[in-house]
Amino acid sequence: MPSLLEVQSAMRAQLLDEANPVAAALLAEALTRADRLSIYRNTSRIALTNTLRLNYPAVQRLVGEDFFAAAADIFITKEPPRMAWLDFYGAAFPEFLEGFKPAASLLYLPDVARLERAVSRALHAADAKALAPAELAELPQIAQGSVSFVPHPSVGLLSSKYPVDAIWRAVLAGDDAALAAIDLDSDGVWLLVERTVGTVEVTRLNERCWRFAEALFAGWPLPDALEHADSDEAPAWLAAHIAAGRVVGFASSKVRKS
Amino acid sequence: MALATIRCDDPIPAKAGIGLRFPHHEAVLEGPPDVAFMEVHTENYMGGGTPLRCLEAVRRNYPVSLHGVGLSLGSAEGLDQAHLDRIRQVAERIEPALMSEHIAWSVSNGTYLADLLPLPMTEEALDVVCRHVDQMQSTLRRKILVENPSTYMQFRHSTIPEWEFMTAVAARTGCDILCDINNIFVSAKNHGWDASAYVAALPREVIGEIHLAGHSVRELAGGGSLRIDDHGSCVADGVWSLYAEALRRFGPIPTLIEWDNNIPPVEVLVAQARHADALIGKEIELRHAVAA
Repeated sequence: MPSLLEVQSAMRAQLLDEANPVAAALLAEALTRADRLSIYRNTSRIALTNTLRLNYPAVQRLVGEDFFAAAADIFITKEPPRMAWLDFYGAAFPEFLEGFKPAASLLYLPDVARLERAVSRALHAADAKALAPAELAELPQIAQGSVSFVPHPSVGLLSSKYPVDAIWRAVLAGDDAALAAIDLDSDGVWLLVERTVGTVEVTRLNERCWRFAEALFAGWPLPDALEHADSDEAPAWLAAHIAAGRVVGFASSKVRKS
Repeated sequence: MALATIRCDDPIPAKAGIGLRFPHHEAVLEGPPDVAFMEVHTENYMGGGTPLRCLEAVRRNYPVSLHGVGLSLGSAEGLDQAHLDRIRQVAERIEPALMSEHIAWSVSNGTYLADLLPLPMTEEALDVVCRHVDQMQSTLRRKILVENPSTYMQFRHSTIPEWEFMTAVAARTGCDILCDINNIFVSAKNHGWDASAYVAALPREVIGEIHLAGHSVRELAGGGSLRIDDHGSCVADGVWSLYAEALRRFGPIPTLIEWDNNIPPVEVLVAQARHADALIGKEIELRHAVAA
């Protein structure tokens, strides 16, 4: 009589297309109808493919439903979910698409997927309270030191040499004219993704502003982020981030004396 | 319907509720339907943002039942404590009237297999499930309900009839049973069991909720057919009959209409809930008549 662990390991292998002769023999022996495992496999694949469709709708429209389903099937076998909370499932899908030869001709596809990953993260990120004005009252004193900021969990940053935000919008709107008008050789984009009330916004920043945000939201000490930005406008950018609720906390481990 | 704020300790009445899915969020907030409660899949509300806000708004109008689909009570390798903690966090925020999970497994070697997979009905599996129900109840500090599965195959080394397995889990852990009538109907057809005998074998005092849903029939290449529990249609006539039998045995019980594929407008679910309410009403009348 096989143990529960043996049964579950063999069924997992079967569902993930890793079945070996030992697992197959065990299941053939243990189950009244081992052929019906395909019903469970189908249900599982459909559930996970639908999760990927929800998280990557523009990718699906760009490649078509059948192509997407075929790519998803390979991806699911390679990168099955590690937990039952699926809101962020498929975080490795953009990198998978980058190495997926049948999609190689769509050069911008992995970056569209990265944008959708950031949008999905923004949609499902935990709620967090924005830094309140009262808390900011302490700022002027410590701002001289190595204060660092904690971004809202929904905030994401990404850059691309393709206008992926325009592609993403046109594809989701089904606007073929707008899609056809996109110049893939135009300059790259520097994007900020965030959740605002009820929706997710994707905003283009200029490169310096984006680099400042990148350093700031990576938790660099403010002086280092300012130096990285190398712009007189950086303090105003910081104020705008705080006003927009993109900052939920700050830390000051080693305050320098002014 | 008067939309008084529901207190967290209000129990769910012995009436019909509906499974709330994302496509219904807007409709349900704009025109709250007259149903006794709403049930959601816990895993859909583990993040922040709009879904959680919608559920909190729904919670102000209805008792809510949190129905988990991913904890994998039957995993030989133990529960994912992080997942159990996420369930606890949703519960702390929503203050549900009921919480439930399945007699099934879906996690192996740290991989989530995204379906409710069948367990061999053995003493080993029973020990594993009971240990995990204990762990879930002590983490959540409340009684949970466990749902009977729908299955398409059986293990040759099973030694315990499913209804006895369900009864033993409840007896050993103090949990209640979520009796899924459609699942009993589907499994009975698939395995040649007597569905009425299954219902009759369950202990009436621990039935805390009933589930009803649609299923489909798949014709098999080699002849015969298989019932698939796909929650994609109205409740079948045979399932309504079995439900009436269950009400006879268990008495009026909170009953949920579930629909997960080809999700129709909320009115269709409400109409199914009306039908369940009518059968509950008949059962109450019958009981009064007998008592009088």
